Amino acid sequence: MKIKKSPPRSSSVWTRAILLLAAGTLWCGASGKPPEKEDLKFGFIKLTDCAPLVIAKEKGYFEEEGLYVTLEAQANWKILLDRVISGELDGAHMLAGQPIAATIGFGTKADVITALSMDLNGNGITVSRAIWEEMIKANPALKKDPVQRPVKADALKPVVQAYKAEGTPLRLGMVFPVSTHNYELRYWLAAGGIHPGFYTPTDINGNTSADVLLSVTPPPQMPATLAQGTIQGYCVGEPWNQQAVIRDIGVAVITDYEIWKNNPEKVFGVTAEWATTHPNTHLGVLKAMMRACMWLDASPAHRKEACRILARPEYVGADYEVIANSMTGTWEYFKGDTRELPDFNVFWRYHATYPYYSDCVWYLTQMRRWGQIGETKPDAWYLDVASKVYRPDLYKEAADALIKEGKMKAADLPKTDGFRPPTADFIDQIEFDGRKPNHYLEQFPIGLKAAP
Amino acid sequence: MSDTPESASTTPVAEPKVPWWNRESTDQRIRTLLIYVGTPALGIILFLGLWSFTATRVKVSFGQLPGPIAVAAEVKSLWLDHKSEREREKQFYERQEERKAKVLAGNPDSEWKERKYAGRPTYFDQIVTSLKTVFTGFLIASLIAVPLGIVCGLSKTINIALNPLIQIFKPVSPLAWLPIVMIMVSALYNPEEPFFEKAFLSSAITVALCSLWPTLVNTAVGVASIDRDYLNVARVLKLGWFKKIFKIVLPAALPLIFTGLRLSLGVGWMVLIAAEMLAQNPGLGKFVWDMFQNGSSQTLAQIMVAVFTIGGIGFILDRVMLSLQRSVSFGSANH
Amino acid sequence: MPPILEIQSASKGYGQGRQRTAVLKNINLRIDEGEFVAIIGYSGAGKTTLISLLAGLLRPDEGTVQFRGQPVTEPGPERALIFQNYSLLPWLSVAGNIALAVDSVHSDWTRQRRREHVERHIAMVNLTPARHKKPHELSGGMRQRVSVARALAMDPQLLLMDEPLSALDALTRATLQDEVSRIWQENRKTVVLITNDPDEGIYLADRIIPLSAGPEATLGPSIPIDIPRPRDRRDLNKEPHFIDIRRRVLDFLLGEGARTRTTVTRKLVLPDLEPEDLTRPSGMPFVGSRARRRREEKEETVEIS
Repeated sequence: MKIKKSPPRSSSVWTRAILLLAAGTLWCGASGKPPEKEDLKFGFIKLTDCAPLVIAKEKGYFEEEGLYVTLEAQANWKILLDRVISGELDGAHMLAGQPIAATIGFGTKADVITALSMDLNGNGITVSRAIWEEMIKANPALKKDPVQRPVKADALKPVVQAYKAEGTPLRLGMVFPVSTHNYELRYWLAAGGIHPGFYTPTDINGNTSADVLLSVTPPPQMPATLAQGTIQGYCVGEPWNQQAVIRDIGVAVITDYEIWKNNPEKVFGVTAEWATTHPNTHLGVLKAMMRACMWLDASPAHRKEACRILARPEYVGADYEVIANSMTGTWEYFKGDTRELPDFNVFWRYHATYPYYSDCVWYLTQMRRWGQIGETKPDAWYLDVASKVYRPDLYKEAADALIKEGKMKAADLPKTDGFRPPTADFIDQIEFDGRKPNHYLEQFPIGLKAAP
Repeated sequence: MSDTPESASTTPVAEPKVPWWNRESTDQRIRTLLIYVGTPALGIILFLGLWSFTATRVKVSFGQLPGPIAVAAEVKSLWLDHKSEREREKQFYERQEERKAKVLAGNPDSEWKERKYAGRPTYFDQIVTSLKTVFTGFLIASLIAVPLGIVCGLSKTINIALNPLIQIFKPVSPLAWLPIVMIMVSALYNPEEPFFEKAFLSSAITVALCSLWPTLVNTAVGVASIDRDYLNVARVLKLGWFKKIFKIVLPAALPLIFTGLRLSLGVGWMVLIAAEMLAQNPGLGKFVWDMFQNGSSQTLAQIMVAVFTIGGIGFILDRVMLSLQRSVSFGSANH
Repeated sequence: MPPILEIQSASKGYGQGRQRTAVLKNINLRIDEGEFVAIIGYSGAGKTTLISLLAGLLRPDEGTVQFRGQPVTEPGPERALIFQNYSLLPWLSVAGNIALAVDSVHSDWTRQRRREHVERHIAMVNLTPARHKKPHELSGGMRQRVSVARALAMDPQLLLMDEPLSALDALTRATLQDEVSRIWQENRKTVVLITNDPDEGIYLADRIIPLSAGPEATLGPSIPIDIPRPRDRRDLNKEPHFIDIRRRVLDFLLGEGARTRTTVTRKLVLPDLEPEDLTRPSGMPFVGSRARRRREEKEETVEIS
């Protein structure tokens, strides 16, 4: 929006002040630079962790940056990614694996980057009631009240072996080949000694040498297919786990928080080209979304309000009660076992929004572990891809601007070189150091090693 | 008037075609009403009753199957949602006008950019989008199919040449065309200032590809089966090919062409919903898919509203085309 | 005076090789300007083929068709054709049908002049009150009149009429014959009329030529009609020339030009309807002796021509 500021007719100070005020309310924020494109269209999938996008729009944070955003629900992850690449969408709520996979060429090849992690945690693994009964039968310890959590996949192993022996391996659903759910599900299974399958050049479904069959199922169909018996379990974000529990179709076995405490989940992805040609716009978007994340984590009342907004049919659309469970920090494993899980969705705390290189490296290691990356790569390659896809430099720019405007605390910007400190907060306690991906791969009993 | 019994009306008298409100007796009027209005109404009531009964018995993963009352309530809620969205839009524009007035009052020379309300399409907006898409696709299909059909009908050689291609492409489902169309639109349609959305174009082109076959085949048949004598008239009058086509061939083939157009529109409407689901065109197809993805307790009711809307619109479109078709048909057979 | 239309040794056949039927063989015809010639023959003899040759819609396999000394290669408005089933365009009104012809033939005229021309021809056939009607709203006789008006509106040099009145009932036919006669008196065009009614031919024409029965139909002797005009149909029967001409025409048609009667004998197998004799021992059910059915073979002779 251009405002031609002609010299004021009268030299009155008041006129100048009014002009400046008027200009200020129309100009984008206080960053000083106007956005290249003001009408934006972002895509999202109907999962509760699209909340930062929704809140940034509904609370007017986008508008304050001079951006006018339309949010459009997409049919599935593939279409969403394709439309971002083709330019129909300026950016989208993406799985953390999507920008990475696109950049390395697994699936549609394109240079997609992310400068903002949208949230941590937020997924769960649900199995059908029948499978849970079988798990209890094989593991009397599960009958204890309350159930000792986390429930490791060791409890599922006898059931898996029984099914495999009959010739009908257990079938589990996940959302997308490069989705966090896929990797988390595999991680959990492998930690319990169950082989989830390899991807090979000829097997794009990732079922080679598998003890269980993993397949892609769209999230809304998961409860229905679980009820039908087509799949016996799935790993997905919310509200689909709680939906199954509330409707008495399934039992939530574990959340991804218990698999890897505070794991990176969704990111906000744009094409590298878009980011280069729209730097100011991108900055405004990041700032707005960071403020939305801050708002979401500010208080439980905010979370409740967010649930009400997300329950609208144009956003997530599920019933309020179903969304409210996980978003307000409670998690119902099954009817009668509800626990406090305040960190089920983390949007701002623990530096949730910072795009750490180590997060990218972790996903790359898992892609290599299961064969989506065909050959061994040197450590330098992992770090190189991470620096291409993840852009903490852009994050820092946005954070600095917010700090200057007083909207963000300086302490919230982590002082880091982009790598989280090594952590063993995993269900199998294997330590992950983002700088040593190949060493990490060596630690796993199940999975492709660094060297074949 | 004779009184002999034989002359009493034993011979059947053909009843003249009189509209029902003009009939002589109230009895006749009631009878006509009962037959033409009462019977379908009875059928509909029975259907609603059966539906209501089944709904209470069936439980699905989303909850209970909604009955007719729940669906009617959903229609109302969609309408209210539409009204409130329009209200928000109005307020947005009012606020914008206020700001504009303030700015221009302060500095009349400043440039002001009109912003469009970035709201979401409501159910009724989506209906309009679907209609626009189907008519665009239908138009593209007709512009290709009618001339091609005329050529096929007039020239046996071309007909034989094109026939295998037509037979191969005719049965292809829209869901098979769509990915190809989407990829091509993505690659080829990249203007600076796009007038059409890519999703809109993909949906319209897919509709065109699937719905052009009935028009093509019917036009070819219509043209090929013109009475030889009409063509002889053209020969005797030594009409040039342009006049021959527009004055003789087209008018003679028009009834069959319109039959084809009517079938095409029906096919196109069906194909549209599927195409929209995948191409993400903001119409009824996307509505159904989005509501399905919501998985809320209103989902089934909303989808049923969509089903009735789609059916209702399809019915209206068909009737409109049928009356158009009748109006261009001539001759005793159709009157 | 050179003839306006001449056919020399023309033949026309359909089909190839073994299935070839020669419809017309060795047709010779010569028509002078201003004549009214009637050709009469059996149905299916090839009358439409003959007139199509004259019009230029078909080309002869052998021989020539010449119009004013030039070979006829394609149809044109100078040889106007009145079709057997009228061929009016059903989406155009009476005026529209005639206007189509006028606009094509007289495209250099002004619109006013063309319109007057159309109106005049509608009046000529007494259809002015029905000028806006579509063909399906008209009776058969009226449609034929429109057809005649259309043909005349082309200002042709030669009028070819292919059994124009065959589809009408006898009374309408009589009325229209009078109309045709009246119009011809006023316009004196050259007319070739194909008909299946000898009386009609004799009533209207200057000479009548019978066409023998097919296949390989050929023209018989040209019989001049010297009954003075105007002719009154009610008095025609008393005319001695009429009876004589008629007899000569029928002699040809029923005699040497008659249909050859061909018959074909086919063997038919008829089911035996004799009732089954239940008193005979049947042995095992479904097995063993079944009632014997005698099949009756009949020979049937069917006449085809």
